[in-house]
Amino acid sequence: MKAVKGKLLLGGVHVPDKKSLANAAPIEVLPPPQKVAINLSQSLGRPSEPCVAAGDTVKEGQVIATAAGPISSQVFASISGTVKEIKPLVTEGGVESRFIVIEGDGSGEKQYLEPLENPSADDIKKRIFDAGIVGLGGAGFPTAVKVAPKTPVDTLILNGAECEPYLTCDHRLMLEHTDEIARGARYIAKSLNVTKILIGIEVNKPECIAKFEAYDDIGVVALKKRYPMGGEKQLIYSCTGRKVGIGKLPADSGVVVQNVATCFAVCEAVELGKPLYERVLTVSGGAVKEPKNLKVRVGTSIEEIIAYCGGESSAPKKAILGGPMTGIAIKSYDLYTKKTTSGVLLMTESEAAAEEPTPCLNCGMCADHCPMHLMPMNTAFYANAGDFELAAKLGNTMSCIECGVCEYVCPAKRPLIQAIRKTKAAMRNKK
Amino acid sequence: MDNQIVVSTPPHVKSNRTTRKIMIDVIIALAPAAICGIIFFLVDALVIEITAVVSAVIAEFIYFFIAKGGFAWKFSDDTTKALAKELKELKKQNQSDTEKEAKLKEIKANLRKASFEKSKNVCKKFAHQFDCTSIVTGLILALILPSTANWYEVAIGSAFAIMVVKMVFGGTGRNIANPAATGRIFMLISFSIGTFAVLNIGNMDSIVYTGATFLSDEATGLIATGSADAATLFELFFGISTSGTVFAGCIGETCKLALILGYIYLVVRKVIKWWQPVLYIGVAGLMSVALNGFDFTLFLPYILSGGLMFGAIFMATDYVTSPKGVYGQIVYYVCLGLLTSLLRHFTGIEVVSFVIVIMNLLVPLIDRYIIRKPFGYKREKKIKENKEGK
Repeated sequence: MKAVKGKLLLGGVHVPDKKSLANAAPIEVLPPPQKVAINLSQSLGRPSEPCVAAGDTVKEGQVIATAAGPISSQVFASISGTVKEIKPLVTEGGVESRFIVIEGDGSGEKQYLEPLENPSADDIKKRIFDAGIVGLGGAGFPTAVKVAPKTPVDTLILNGAECEPYLTCDHRLMLEHTDEIARGARYIAKSLNVTKILIGIEVNKPECIAKFEAYDDIGVVALKKRYPMGGEKQLIYSCTGRKVGIGKLPADSGVVVQNVATCFAVCEAVELGKPLYERVLTVSGGAVKEPKNLKVRVGTSIEEIIAYCGGESSAPKKAILGGPMTGIAIKSYDLYTKKTTSGVLLMTESEAAAEEPTPCLNCGMCADHCPMHLMPMNTAFYANAGDFELAAKLGNTMSCIECGVCEYVCPAKRPLIQAIRKTKAAMRNKK
Repeated sequence: MDNQIVVSTPPHVKSNRTTRKIMIDVIIALAPAAICGIIFFLVDALVIEITAVVSAVIAEFIYFFIAKGGFAWKFSDDTTKALAKELKELKKQNQSDTEKEAKLKEIKANLRKASFEKSKNVCKKFAHQFDCTSIVTGLILALILPSTANWYEVAIGSAFAIMVVKMVFGGTGRNIANPAATGRIFMLISFSIGTFAVLNIGNMDSIVYTGATFLSDEATGLIATGSADAATLFELFFGISTSGTVFAGCIGETCKLALILGYIYLVVRKVIKWWQPVLYIGVAGLMSVALNGFDFTLFLPYILSGGLMFGAIFMATDYVTSPKGVYGQIVYYVCLGLLTSLLRHFTGIEVVSFVIVIMNLLVPLIDRYIIRKPFGYKREKKIKENKEGK
């Protein structure tokens, strides 16, 4: 269908997107690594329970850990080989988590699920759980939970905004696998029993908009380029005009949002029976020799990914897993990708912000640009004073989506997100 | 991978806007008014402007230097005192110990060196953190003073504005009232600086209506004599009459064209929002029209006279002392406008500085009670109402 314009957001900010570094690079497949270390904490919620032991032989796609609890997902072997050990390692977040380390045998033997033909809604729901699919946009919420909403839903929105600068993996996926994404979206729509499918794409990806306009059952919404357009609540507002209430889920407004990469994974899971053990991610930034979009197996080490892209072209100032606005800064390359890792960025000194904070001016730019209409400066002020209750009350901090806009625009370079996280943690502990 | 790598919370990219850049933008926006002042009032204005700015920067430096321990010099300690005592005893007995003398000298030299090193570091720190806010304060203060002010009065007022109003409260971002406006009130009280021109509707006094201020004589004055004509408006707008006579008044407030240029620059650079001064000036103008029996011919001369336009563009919009949220800002500017026209009407003197300081002191209250509701708030409220209705 012909693209329609999305509603404007009140707030948000125009961030230089730097997508031209990698958006012309077609998706390449990273050769299977010799060794993978798979984090058992792949999604929100409790870490999965391992169902293999050290010494077991596993095949590519075999379940190695099962979901523990409602918001948890299945985890799969991403290479064939033997399980070497199950041990705690330090994750990118700086905390310890259990990892299953698999040494590859290079045989590439696969163990997929049965492909489904003309699946029913329940078949698809079961398959989404069995294939361990989680939201690939970044948060890693299990898709199986999302496709079983408690309230009636009438619209499925595909998130192709990719508003994070640098990242181009969704862009390439939409270009190269348009049909798979559309089919995956139809499966999800069937499982939700909805007929209305919308896809939101930022206008800086006109090729993708043109490609999706060819489908009659998918409505294309051309979103204005504005960060954070891909935030769930912002996307829903821009596409449908509905506002999701505070503390509510999108399903309460009759909407389910899925990332395009998730749709691609669902399509593969249904048609090929392939579980989610690899994903496309972007390797970019000024300090990478050849920025690329790579299909990478879960548990590949960051070092190997960077080496495949030609290594560092200059000493990076910052290394980031994910996008530059919400990603995690890492200190060493001795880390492993997860299902939710959408990018590996090496930034030079001129790109990365490392300025010292100066006193707050009360200019109110953070509040003017906040897409959630909060008052971050109040949070920062009272959190610094140690009064977290007032910080949460006057800053409305509990509605914060931690998109990073406030800190991006702050002329005094105040560490606002840090104060917001502190406040949130203090308030949660209190409850 | 080396140890140069930095780890921090996101976001990892930031806008290249800094406090210093914003302040430089404000200085550029003030430039037309400052230059106009020099053209109109010649050397007087130049001296006042330079004195105010220099005095403000020096005041900030001195405060910073003392507060950060730049004067914590230590030229002697227990060992040197003991040595000096010993040497004194020896000298009394007409003896000397060259070794001890040399030692004393060395220790003293080291102490002196360390003290000066410390002071130097404080100076370096000052240069590093200097964000041009004191230049802005000094310049604004100079521009709202009459050209008849003495240079030493300006220097004292400027130092007061920086030291007492800004630095004592904790420096940039912590002052509770606009330093320049407070500095002007301080000078008015202490030196009766331009009690004449500070009623500087008073521009009108000396030239158009000798002896009567425009506002106190509003009804009978300008309008009644029919002089709210194009020529008077021209004089008010450009600060200079068609025959070339310059208005008496404050240095920066006379030429409204220069102020509007500054306003446009600030809006284009997104330092202030376009509606902020417009709201203030508009409300003030309309309120005074209402107070004078809805005589709309008063509107233009009213908003063009006195320091209203300067105050609305450069002083009321000061980040530190205005509310943070949009709704709070609307309340703030409307209150400013109402108070300005009310006080002007009933006192007959120029009150913009006073009104700005009064409203500055109310800003913490506004910030505390007017908080924007988060995105999606309305919806939740509706749901609650529906539930109650059921």
